[in-house]
Amino acid sequence: MLENNNLKICRKLVRREFQFHKARSILLMGAIALVSMLCTFSFSLGFVIRDGLMYGHRIQYGSLSHILYYGLNDSQASALARHGDVKNTVSLRAVGVLSDDVMEYRSVKLAAVSPDWAEATEAVPVHGRMPQADDEIALDELTMQSLAIPPKEGEEVVLRWTPVDGGAERTDTFRLCGWWDSGMGATETCAWITQATARRLCPDAPDSVTLGVTLYRPGDLEAQAKELLYSLGIDGVTYTTNLAYNNARLRRIGTQSMPYYMINIVVAVCGILMVYSIVRISAGRNVRFYGRIKSLGMSPRQIARFMSQQAAYLCLPAVPVGWLLGFGLCIWVSPHVLLGMERHNPALLYFSPLPFVFSGLLTWLVTWAACVMSVRPVSELCPAEAMRFGNDSRMRCKNRQAGRRGRRRRTEISLMALSGFRREKGRTVLSACSLLLALVLLCILWTQYVSADEEKYVKAFSYSDYLIADASAATGLQRYNPWSCSITPEFMEALRRREEVTDVGTIRTMEVPMSADEEERAQAVAFYEGREQDGTVRKETMSGLPDWGTGYEKFRETGEYIGIAVGVDGLALSKALEDSGYAGGAFDAERFDTGKYVVAAGASSTSGISTLPVGSRVEIGGRSFEIMASVSHQSRLVTGSDSREAEFSLSYYMPAWVYEQLFPDSGIRNVTVNIDHNSQKEFEEFLCELTRDSGIQVTMRSDFQKNFRNALLHNYMIPLFVGGVLLLIGMLNYGNALVSSMLVRGKELAVYESLGMTRSQIRRMLVWEGILYGGVQIFIIVPVTSGLTWLWGRWWIAHSASAWCATWRYSLLPMWVALPVLAAAAYVIPQCCFRILMKESVMERLCAV
Amino acid sequence: MDIITVRNLKKCYGSGERQVRALDGVELTVSKGEFVSVMGASGSGKTTLLNMMGGLDMPDEGEVYVDGVNLSGLRESELAVFRRRKVGFVFQEYNLVPTLTVEENILFPLDLDGSAPEQGFLEEVVSLLGLEERMQSYPHTLSGGQKQRVAIARALAAKPPVILADEPTGSLDSRSGQNVAGLLKMAAEHYHRTLVMVTHNRELAQLADRVVYMENGKIGK
Repeated sequence: MLENNNLKICRKLVRREFQFHKARSILLMGAIALVSMLCTFSFSLGFVIRDGLMYGHRIQYGSLSHILYYGLNDSQASALARHGDVKNTVSLRAVGVLSDDVMEYRSVKLAAVSPDWAEATEAVPVHGRMPQADDEIALDELTMQSLAIPPKEGEEVVLRWTPVDGGAERTDTFRLCGWWDSGMGATETCAWITQATARRLCPDAPDSVTLGVTLYRPGDLEAQAKELLYSLGIDGVTYTTNLAYNNARLRRIGTQSMPYYMINIVVAVCGILMVYSIVRISAGRNVRFYGRIKSLGMSPRQIARFMSQQAAYLCLPAVPVGWLLGFGLCIWVSPHVLLGMERHNPALLYFSPLPFVFSGLLTWLVTWAACVMSVRPVSELCPAEAMRFGNDSRMRCKNRQAGRRGRRRRTEISLMALSGFRREKGRTVLSACSLLLALVLLCILWTQYVSADEEKYVKAFSYSDYLIADASAATGLQRYNPWSCSITPEFMEALRRREEVTDVGTIRTMEVPMSADEEERAQAVAFYEGREQDGTVRKETMSGLPDWGTGYEKFRETGEYIGIAVGVDGLALSKALEDSGYAGGAFDAERFDTGKYVVAAGASSTSGISTLPVGSRVEIGGRSFEIMASVSHQSRLVTGSDSREAEFSLSYYMPAWVYEQLFPDSGIRNVTVNIDHNSQKEFEEFLCELTRDSGIQVTMRSDFQKNFRNALLHNYMIPLFVGGVLLLIGMLNYGNALVSSMLVRGKELAVYESLGMTRSQIRRMLVWEGILYGGVQIFIIVPVTSGLTWLWGRWWIAHSASAWCATWRYSLLPMWVALPVLAAAAYVIPQCCFRILMKESVMERLCAV
Repeated sequence: MDIITVRNLKKCYGSGERQVRALDGVELTVSKGEFVSVMGASGSGKTTLLNMMGGLDMPDEGEVYVDGVNLSGLRESELAVFRRRKVGFVFQEYNLVPTLTVEENILFPLDLDGSAPEQGFLEEVVSLLGLEERMQSYPHTLSGGQKQRVAIARALAAKPPVILADEPTGSLDSRSGQNVAGLLKMAAEHYHRTLVMVTHNRELAQLADRVVYMENGKIGK
């Protein structure tokens, strides 16, 4: 028989279904919009995390290009740019490299302005502009801070630099015309000058171009870089590849962003349950409807099309709403997950249409699956059976009731309600289980969330409420410049005058060449060359630091080393000595204040310490000191980096006033401040104002608090969100089960009414049923949720890896919020169902199919 | 010439002690253009037999041939096409699609098949059944008798050779019932269709060319 499936009829049927069941359709669209929102959120967040991590790796490389070729001539550069595999190129002509001592951890090229290169390395001035006049220069903020250049247009800039042709180091003076946040150029960036200046400074500069290449397909960059040179016959050119595209890194990024995509599995399952729980209310009617249209000749293909179009119609208005809400949520959440991106919102910066496509598809699948699940019997039943679907089970119930009535027990409303309630045991258990699952999960997560202790976290991460750093010591990539002096006496005066400040301490450091005789250095040598308890030799574990090795060998052989004089006072001194453990001698404040003694600080372990012995004499700045005690060096007290030469060094703490006498022009490296926490907000506002445009870096108490809250949000937001959705589904199930158990009994209630039961009695019976339904579930939920949450919480606080920043707080807030809603629903829903049922006359309900 | 042949048809519902034998070796033939009434007590298997003839239910044993087609050998999709083209159903509960208008309901089997209605024929059927004024109405606005007339029009629309009516007057009062049964017989005769009607009503059954009695799943004497 020739099949002829007219599929257009499906669209008409779907459209009419919507027109006839508007309330149900709107409810379904709401649920679908929620699914779409969750999918969009988790997909978008996954993409943002992936791109953010990628960006982090690209920052380390210092350029967005895939490959950087160095030392090309013009013809080689243009040949590479024309290659078929190359998408685009950016080029740079550097005339030299900044060679000031403080630049030793960074590579800053003095180069003629190249707008493309500047774009690719994000080295475009955000304050001021690119150089236009002969003596103008644009720099990044880290370079300016290291060289103590105030961020002011027109400021004089004196630079030491070495030409690329290998000529002698030169010093030239420029005028600052623009600057930018270092960001991507943390390790490698440019100092921009005009083409004319470049030619003037280096008239005989070799024809040397650095070319950044972006490929169409950024896979196996190492092989592609070689292949490009080979195919063009270019020899003797060096190159580096962007490690962000390294396969291992890409795999790691994939692994790190995977949890965010995996959430979609939970979302999909929850979504199917949620949509299913709504369509299930009219499942019987739907199955009978499908049976009816099957009996009239609708083919399986037409039914499949009808269902898929039904899902599409529901999704059409709901999915875009979900997209908007989900992306909005992502915009709000992503800055808390991807830290350090304050200038741009990561969700907007890494916008991609793919999460929306995936979310749309998944939402449609979820809707389709839920619709199909609800009418699953259609595929298993003949049309004749499908048309009778749902009627037989009611008959069985009625028979059972008739049997009970047969015992001649007096019929009471409460007993009838009990009988009605017992008839829905399966649904009650299902509803209780889904509610229990959601509430136990939520209460456990909530208890963990409220147990997280901010104070413990802040104390664990910071020595003081505020750590203020000189501009040249803002990051570990900068070598500290003792002459930077961005923390001025006026600054300190203003700080000390604040009423909320309870404790202040300063740290100044200076690298000093020192020497020790053989007897004095024996203790340090023994420490580094002796074995630890685990059998390792400390000197060998330090072998990864070549500068340390050179310094140590020099110290061992000649006794010469770099000592770091640390002038310390107040809070900083007490923190330096606190928890350090005295490996030798004892600290005596009175003797220390005489200025004749120092405290030696070095690396320490249970097997010893790397300092000179207590009682040794050391000469610093021409003055002799006796070592009164030796302690473990607290490296977290200072920020920035010392010189590479000081990789192996020994520190000596001395009173601040002694240090000032020895090195009167040296600045303050760090300031530690404690305050009265009640005035935190005012103090931070003051501090922001005080440090504005000064390059001074402040690590605030609120930074740690923000980190704590972000970490908390990062750890608990998504699980709590999923728990919340589960609870929503559980509550929907709870309500749906109650609604559907009552609405399907229109005929049965009409029979009661026709037999003489009053409407008031029917209403009371339904309300009793609701109360029984809600009461039993609440009776199960409260003890089980309370008990499991307590047991899990106690175990978690004793064994969890994050218990170090937790204080046990038992809270069942989600349950206390949910219970009144459940109780109210148990009372209100039966009344609503009663009103709906009583809209039709007894005859209408008796005749209803 | 036989248009319906039923051979040794058996059908059970349920299992174990609850098993009900709905059909127990039914043998029946219906000639082309014949009007056959099927009578019997509740649970005697009348509706089950009609469902088997229309491909709405599958027998456990036995065969049903309708217009030369063995229904047991048809796939689900072929059965759907069979139901559209070979049989027209008139159910006790009308089974109209509530979201479609009267006109759309009548044309529904044709729409499913993607075939165009014969305009003259349809107008004639609609006029014969007195539905001209209600073509744009929805089923919920119609009386029981009107709904059943729409169901009859729908059964005739695709010009199927066989019309199967399952207690078409069961939900109607006796006057409407008489009218509907009369219309059904008239329409079948007018368009030379074979009509098999299940009914409880002895008077209506007498309208048929032949009355078949069923008892405990078997054709009685």
